[in-house]
Amino acid sequence: MTDQANQSRRNFLYVAAGGLGAVAAGGMVVPFIGSMLPAADTLAASKTEFDVSTVVPGQLVTIQWQGKPVFVLNRTAELLKQVDGHDDILKDADSKAIDEVQAEWMDTPEKRKYRSIKPEYLIVVASCTHLGCIPLFKPTPGRKDWGDSVPEDWAGGWHCPCHGSLYDLSARVANGSPAPHNLHVMKYSYKTDTTVVIG
Amino acid sequence: MIEKLMKTQLFAWVDRRTGAEAIIKSQLTEYPAPKNLNYMWNFGSLALLMLVLQIVTGIFLVMYYKPSAEATFGGFTVAFDSVERIMRDINFGWLIRYMHAVGASMFFFVVYLHMGRGMYYGSFKEPRELLWIIGVVILLIMQGAAFFGYLLPWGQMSFWGATVITNLFGAIPVLGDFVTQLLVGGFAIGDPTLNRFFSLHYLFPLLLVAIVGGHVHALHVVHSNNPDGIDLHKPEEMIPFHPYYTIKDAFGVAFFLTIYAYIVFFNPQFAGYFIEVDNYVPANNLSTPAHIAPVWYLTPWYTILRSFESKLIGVLAMGGSLAILFLLPFLCKSAVRSARFRPVYQIMVIMFFIDVIILGYCGHSAPTPTLKIVGQLSTAYYFLFFVALPFLPKFEKTKPVPEGI
Repeated sequence: MTDQANQSRRNFLYVAAGGLGAVAAGGMVVPFIGSMLPAADTLAASKTEFDVSTVVPGQLVTIQWQGKPVFVLNRTAELLKQVDGHDDILKDADSKAIDEVQAEWMDTPEKRKYRSIKPEYLIVVASCTHLGCIPLFKPTPGRKDWGDSVPEDWAGGWHCPCHGSLYDLSARVANGSPAPHNLHVMKYSYKTDTTVVIG
Repeated sequence: MIEKLMKTQLFAWVDRRTGAEAIIKSQLTEYPAPKNLNYMWNFGSLALLMLVLQIVTGIFLVMYYKPSAEATFGGFTVAFDSVERIMRDINFGWLIRYMHAVGASMFFFVVYLHMGRGMYYGSFKEPRELLWIIGVVILLIMQGAAFFGYLLPWGQMSFWGATVITNLFGAIPVLGDFVTQLLVGGFAIGDPTLNRFFSLHYLFPLLLVAIVGGHVHALHVVHSNNPDGIDLHKPEEMIPFHPYYTIKDAFGVAFFLTIYAYIVFFNPQFAGYFIEVDNYVPANNLSTPAHIAPVWYLTPWYTILRSFESKLIGVLAMGGSLAILFLLPFLCKSAVRSARFRPVYQIMVIMFFIDVIILGYCGHSAPTPTLKIVGQLSTAYYFLFFVALPFLPKFEKTKPVPEGI
């Protein structure tokens, strides 16, 4: 009887000591994994200002925000027209699939289509939503300038060189692309008429 | 020579304190090896040689390499410039770096042949299942080490290759974003990524050394398979590892080093296969190269990834194509080991080797519609090979296996 009591006491002590040891070892994981997450100064560099009036009509510039590339495209009336008429071949024409592809200012069907606060200035994260390459800008319609890298009924937009994803001039992804989503829209606002604050 | 050494007083002193004589005898001079091993059995020792060469050259490169993405006055970055300094200014730096860069490709080359040998002669089958599984772990760690190392020169291919692969992990459900953040350490590939990749690139070879030790230990418990794939019991079928196979391995090493030295001295980029041309362009986070592809030894898996239109399925298929290697010993149920006596398996496994080469070719080339279909068919065969294995013994008529050798 005493032997049995001793045995169960020992078992309890083994489990208790072992359990506490495991908790302590597990706790040590927190600082090590935590040290691998983005550092405070990395996170702090999170806002970028940009003067969109430096982008001439029809021009695309790629700027940096948080180390990520960002497209700023000044769309002419003609380029804006090329956004129309192919909703049926888009995966997510209204940009409603996930939070990252929409913004609270997208409150009209017009803004959902153009995906920008001011229709002419499209500002989106330039990383292909498939695996992060920067898509190539191929704005003119058809195959004349781009060869067979784009489909015959190409409406103009972006073509990703890595795995062939296609986006239209509102950076909405076409069916058949490996990319799952439209290019992401980051938070931005107009500080003045032409200065945007990104982030 | 060993025998002479073992008779000295010094050795006796060491032996009393370590048991060295028993180890040398059981593992080397009296370690029984089948007498019919062919040259396909040379690649294990060659892989070990490459591991040592990579570690030695790596240690010397680290004396000059600087893992920093900070911009320099020249307009490049500290890391990129330090690699160029190794190439131009450090005494013999060009030689050590080319040995390391070419060595990575040669390491994979001998390991793939080593694995192909195991598949063809059934070396993964009972009782060597765990030996094979440890080998697959070694392959995965090698691929990780190669991936981390490829970022270090901080060229265009380094940067965009790392972007693509870290984004792959983002496709993992639930944990994806967290894992990507742990790898990248910021919003995009940058200085924190370079530093942690450098740390991990130094860690992984140390893991390899430990696991290779386990691989060799497991081998010495179950002993080598042989081209006939039969169990050997009679003493006259065996010869001691030393001197017979140490000499044969040494001959293989000399032959191999001739080819290795030729590539290092006369053709180190190997037409863009070993060192990609775009990697001589400094990393630019605002412009993706027109065509990005991993180095040749990762392209078969890259093709499997590309063959699916859904990102998640592509990532799962790629992970699955590596994970299924772990299951090979349990999928292959035939009692006969060697493909010499398995006519159907022999055709299937040779087609599998060709299939992997086609997958590699597709992954290295710019994507076109034709290559996409070829890649998809090859991906299908890759998996079909493994799925068909359990059903093979039901209809395959194996040839009679010899009694002994």
